[in-house]
Amino acid sequence: MPELIQLENVGVIYNVHGHAPKQVLQGLNLTIQPGEFVAVCGQTGCGKSTMLRLILGAERPSSGRVLIEGCERPRPDRHRGYVPQKYSLFPDKTVLDNITFGPETEEFGLIGRLRPGFRRRREELREKAFGYLRQMGLQQSDAHKYPDQLSGGMQQRVAIAQALIMRPAILLMDEAFSALDPGTRADMQRLVRTLWQETGTTFLFVTHNIPEAVYLGSRIVVLGKDSPESSSRVLVDMEVPESARTASGYPNREELERLTRVIEDAALGGRLELEMAEFGG
Amino acid sequence: MLFRIDAKPNRLTAWTLSWFLFASGIALYFYTSNKRHIENPEDKVIPNLTQLSQGVTDAFLKPDTEEAAPEGLENASLPKKFLTSMLWTDTVASAKRFAWSMLLLIPAVVLGLHMGMFPVFGQFFLRFILFFDKIIALSVLPILFIAFGIDELAKIMLIVIGVTPTIILDTFNLTKSVPSEQVVKGFTLGAQDFGVAYSIVLKQILPRVLNSIRLNLKSIMLFLFAGEMIASQDGLAFRIALLRRHMGMNVIIPYVLWVALLLFLVDLTMRVTNRKLHPWFREA
Repeated sequence: MPELIQLENVGVIYNVHGHAPKQVLQGLNLTIQPGEFVAVCGQTGCGKSTMLRLILGAERPSSGRVLIEGCERPRPDRHRGYVPQKYSLFPDKTVLDNITFGPETEEFGLIGRLRPGFRRRREELREKAFGYLRQMGLQQSDAHKYPDQLSGGMQQRVAIAQALIMRPAILLMDEAFSALDPGTRADMQRLVRTLWQETGTTFLFVTHNIPEAVYLGSRIVVLGKDSPESSSRVLVDMEVPESARTASGYPNREELERLTRVIEDAALGGRLELEMAEFGG
Repeated sequence: MLFRIDAKPNRLTAWTLSWFLFASGIALYFYTSNKRHIENPEDKVIPNLTQLSQGVTDAFLKPDTEEAAPEGLENASLPKKFLTSMLWTDTVASAKRFAWSMLLLIPAVVLGLHMGMFPVFGQFFLRFILFFDKIIALSVLPILFIAFGIDELAKIMLIVIGVTPTIILDTFNLTKSVPSEQVVKGFTLGAQDFGVAYSIVLKQILPRVLNSIRLNLKSIMLFLFAGEMIASQDGLAFRIALLRRHMGMNVIIPYVLWVALLLFLVDLTMRVTNRKLHPWFREA
């Protein structure tokens, strides 16, 4: 049985107009198993989002291979859900239409909507979408609003519903909560953890916030550079055992100290403690 | 008050300010007309109210020629007289050309969308369209008349050459401005290339494309008028050019105002339609 995601010696080089080519990632190796919640963190510009886009199929590696279930899949597809930080919803569609867009498109395509069974099937999909809305903690009255009538947190809830209704094997979230206020962000983190536990979907969550990564991830991957001139690689790759978590969802004190020590030693030189305090843990 | 950026004129002031230049223009016109008519009662350059009324009656209620008048027109109702009038027949002739030109903008929008969505398509057309956009349409008018004759096709081609490159490039740029996240998202939701192009990108840019067409209405009319003035047997611009030879200012002025009114109505209709079709769209 092949791994769900496998990055083999992946390198990415960007050609910058008028400058020397910039190597963002080099020799990146990573394997992700089904059902894991991998939180990828690291400083700005270390290539976290690039790695996510490689797995998504929105970008191709300059060297190495990215395998999804043992195959190279160089284009995004319905098996890999995506929740970006911005532009996560279609602005021209209501909440309900955003959620049903995927299943409708998959079943009926561009012109299949003219088929006789479409209206009946659409009603069924709408019912299903209402179920997802409730699961995301949204009201039925929100269903007919346009994205710009929703708060940032509500938009991201709809975006998650929109992705999950497709039942993807992997859900990729790129700094999905970065623009949210701390309270909403905490709510969203709880929601995502619950969804992960309930659905068993593999999550890959990119964040520059270490407490968020520690809270969410069953595994934490830290990307970083050995020196300012070098390209990024995996500096830390460690499991966070569920048994070590307290009722609040955070790892217990010993586990937290271990995680802190590993990340500090390997990569971030003392920044974790500060951010953890900010997070209120 | 005048140069305060936080000024908030009340309703009456705002109304007065917005109509002041209209009122001033009308007053200045009749003052000048009156002055010229004192010097020369037969003056035709700036017709007075009586001459204008006669011109409006001729344009709105009388046919182009005596031969064109159907029998019993003198006793016909006002709507019937209007529908056989010179102004109405000219309006219909120009409107047909205008409608054809608008229809030909649909392929332009499709081309711009495809250029923006599909890089191979974009590479193939972009440089050529950029070059074409720099050609002054009126400068190729003689070539058009030679190539397409002086019939309808040449006039429509003039509009096409004059306006379509702008619409194609506008649509192309609007397509490119759609965030890549939206395109990727479309694929992750099971859409294929054409699904992403038409169900996601086109729907998002359509209100802006319609705005772009709306802003180009004047250019469309400009090219339409140029074609009609040079080679036509009917149409609003043909009539204006014809009456210019006879100094028929009392008909030209109502014609010009009629054209402005029509253009205003088309613009208003497009704006209202755009708002109704795209309730989510907020104009910047």
